[in-house]
Amino acid sequence: MARDETFKHEVLRLAGAEVLTCIQCGTCSASCPTAHLMNPSIRRLIKLCLEGKKKEALHNETLWLCTSCLLCTVRCPRGIRPKAVVSALKDIAERAGLRSKDAAYEQFFLKQIKDYGRIAELALTGEFLLVFPQGAVQSMQMGLELLPRGKIDLKIEKIKGRDEVKRIVEELSK
Amino acid sequence: MPIGVYVCHCGLNIAGVLNMEKLKSFAEKLPDVAVARDLQFSCSDIGQEQIQKDIAELKLDRVVVAACSPRLHEPTFRRAIAKAGLNPYMLEMANIREQCSWVHMEQPAMATEKAKDLIAMAVAKAALLQPLEPESIPVSKNVLVVGGGVAGIAAALDLGDCGLHVFLVERRPTIGGYMALLTDVFPTNDCSICVLGPKMSDVYNHSNITLITYAEVLGVEGSVGNFTVSGVRKARYVDEKLCKGCISECAGVCPVEVPSEYDFGIGKRKAIYVPYPQAVPLVACVDPKACIGCARCVEACPAQAVKLDQEPQDFELNVGAIIVATGWQPFDATRKEEYGFGRYRDVITTLQMERMLNASGPTKGEVVRPSTCKIAESIAFLQCVGSRDSTVGNLYCSRVCCMASLKNAQLVKEKYPHNDITIYYIDIRAGGEGYEEFYVRAQKLGINFVRSRVSRIEEVEGEISLIFEDTQTGEMKRVRHDLAVLSVGLEPDEKADVLGNLLGLSRRPDGFFEIAHPKMRPVEAHIDGVFIAGCASGPKEIPISIAQGSAAAAKAVKLLHKGVLELEPTSAYVDPEKCIKCKLCVDLCPKKAIAVKSPAYVDEAACKGCGSCAAACPVDAINMRFFSDEQIMAQVQAATEEKREFPSIVAFLCNWCSYGAADLAGTSRIQYPTNARNIRVMCSARVDPSFVLEALRRGADGVLIAGCRIGECHYRDGNYQALQRVNVLKGVLEKIGLDPGRVKIVWCAASEGEIYARDLKDFIGELKAMGPIGTELKK
Repeated sequence: MARDETFKHEVLRLAGAEVLTCIQCGTCSASCPTAHLMNPSIRRLIKLCLEGKKKEALHNETLWLCTSCLLCTVRCPRGIRPKAVVSALKDIAERAGLRSKDAAYEQFFLKQIKDYGRIAELALTGEFLLVFPQGAVQSMQMGLELLPRGKIDLKIEKIKGRDEVKRIVEELSK
Repeated sequence: MPIGVYVCHCGLNIAGVLNMEKLKSFAEKLPDVAVARDLQFSCSDIGQEQIQKDIAELKLDRVVVAACSPRLHEPTFRRAIAKAGLNPYMLEMANIREQCSWVHMEQPAMATEKAKDLIAMAVAKAALLQPLEPESIPVSKNVLVVGGGVAGIAAALDLGDCGLHVFLVERRPTIGGYMALLTDVFPTNDCSICVLGPKMSDVYNHSNITLITYAEVLGVEGSVGNFTVSGVRKARYVDEKLCKGCISECAGVCPVEVPSEYDFGIGKRKAIYVPYPQAVPLVACVDPKACIGCARCVEACPAQAVKLDQEPQDFELNVGAIIVATGWQPFDATRKEEYGFGRYRDVITTLQMERMLNASGPTKGEVVRPSTCKIAESIAFLQCVGSRDSTVGNLYCSRVCCMASLKNAQLVKEKYPHNDITIYYIDIRAGGEGYEEFYVRAQKLGINFVRSRVSRIEEVEGEISLIFEDTQTGEMKRVRHDLAVLSVGLEPDEKADVLGNLLGLSRRPDGFFEIAHPKMRPVEAHIDGVFIAGCASGPKEIPISIAQGSAAAAKAVKLLHKGVLELEPTSAYVDPEKCIKCKLCVDLCPKKAIAVKSPAYVDEAACKGCGSCAAACPVDAINMRFFSDEQIMAQVQAATEEKREFPSIVAFLCNWCSYGAADLAGTSRIQYPTNARNIRVMCSARVDPSFVLEALRRGADGVLIAGCRIGECHYRDGNYQALQRVNVLKGVLEKIGLDPGRVKIVWCAASEGEIYARDLKDFIGELKAMGPIGTELKK
């Protein structure tokens, strides 16, 4: 596939031109605490950007596994900020309307704020798992542990002045 | 006064940006110009012949070449016009490449306008040039070599063999440098000390070499041909003449043991010691920090050589040239905290490995785990520790570490064939004669190569593990090893700072001493009569250090062998009629060239032409033979003849640093706006306040003065004098109602093209905010 130069330059604009100086040494991936869950690794992700492989660079879990711990950025011998590359890709993905786990979660989160003025954990988790059922089993296990300890509130609490909160949210969403 | 103007295309380097036709026709119309031509390559034989032909046919008596920086080709064109019978000083260059076409590539029209001014300025100056005759001075045929490593040894031996007398000054108690501490050396794996040892003895026995070990240079006065160097010989507490070097007697009774710096901390030595058995001179030395003063060595010495009351001795040398061979120091691996050096005992450096592998080293050639003292069976070599790493500020490749690790891995594998050895690398750099073959040999021996830069080392229950990504398989790994060897890079020797500052050497961004030209003048410093050899100017392998030592020696011989030296006739002179005997100039002169006579008198052989006296003289009684008041004034006037853009800036750049920085901005293609018209002066102190006032009077919006960094002036303290004058000038401007910010003084080293461009851009911004000159008067 041909190199998507527009995509490459957008990443460079957002993450810094020093990304061009990457020597693929792997310090970033080896420093990453979630590297074992990532595919491609953060090192490969940077290579994909430089190769202009937009689809592969955006459609992966790696972006959403970054914990922003910045170890990659601290240790990179070329002064590249791999974390900034991840942020750039997230930005591009969201602008392209790619629905990510994070974005979906944020949407549900905001909807509850709008409706109740605060978060109801159980309902939020439930709604989210309907869209992304992959984590359902794990979440349920955790839920069953938390419930007897009184860590989960089954009620949905609503605050006073919800109309105003709603107005704020709508104003901000414009 | 027919002037010839030659505008050089320099291929497309200049012609690719500037409009040559416009420049030529502009030059033709300038006063006194008899001919203006554009030449493809003015420095080529054809170009030079054209200039010579015109001199003969058109009876030109002065020449302007608009081309590259005069710092590059002024000597070329001076020779060319001298060949045609003109005095070589009847040449002026307009720098339209480094300071125009290369830095304004995106603004060809404005760059052409700027080039017009630069040519007009050069023509105006050329009209006032005077023929000058160089003076000859007698020079010393002695050479000082600082640093007794392999480069310094090579230089000293070659110089001594050519009949010059050498003073070899070494900071440590022995010569030999780092090479003497290495085990076998690549790519032939021959024993290092076996090849270096005889050379060290040759130095000791050479009739033309005076060896001064355990000594430091503390002062340098004078200049090319006649340096006076002072220094101190530290007290060894052992009489060099009496000591036989047997060492067993004195060290045998010494009760104090400390880690040996010659074993990089893994071996021990006594408080009285010789660094290693092959040390030259083979004389014991007492470490005053470790010695408890029990004096048992004094009693034990059969030759009565130990003198605990010995005092440091001062020395003074007269030399014609100085070779700086101060070498390098290993990167301090504790700075890479993630590798745990200094915390984990089984993490060592290349140099400690070298000492372990050395048959006369602390482990007698056995490679052991420091934590258990058992043979290390699985060894990891980590490349690029402190090199190619912007997190520690060392972006450069140290050049020798790949080969050093390949070599050490081979030596270990040959000694312990069942050992598991892995080299973790980013790129294997094996570029040298026989080097790639050496890499193949390592591969065939069964050494493992993993393309990875290790992220960190962890120690759990006394066992170390490396954490890395194998970038070829994409696997994240954690691998246990007995021993990790950090391949530390080479850094410039911190202790060489003193000498660098004394000599006024500049440093590259990587911290090593800068050579006069990165390709064409590999062993010359910016300072006349000073040469640099070996790792002082960057990491190098042994053969290249030796070649540089010999090259520096050849350069010193070339400089001094005749016993006389021709000097640039760029000195100051006094008009005795005008002199009011205020003696202001006498104290200012950095070269002490002005005598306290009435009227003042300049010793023109000692004068280096900085021009501070001429700028300071309250009655203009002092002038310069080159860069005269009239010439600079003519340049200022030509620069302000036509206001081509706002803000218009007249900039004075000192020859050594800031003009060099502006040239470097050109060679690095750093782009900046076209507003400034640069005037080269020898020193920022040359800038007479009247030049600045004239520029502003004629409508320049601002004046920039750029000098060497504070403390780094090539004439000692000219930039301080310039600063003082600028501060006074600012007061004057304020009094007349002008914004004092219209005069700005900045500092940049010759290595700081980026800083020059940044300072200029800042100044342009400030002037834009002020508005055109005179705006403030209307308010």
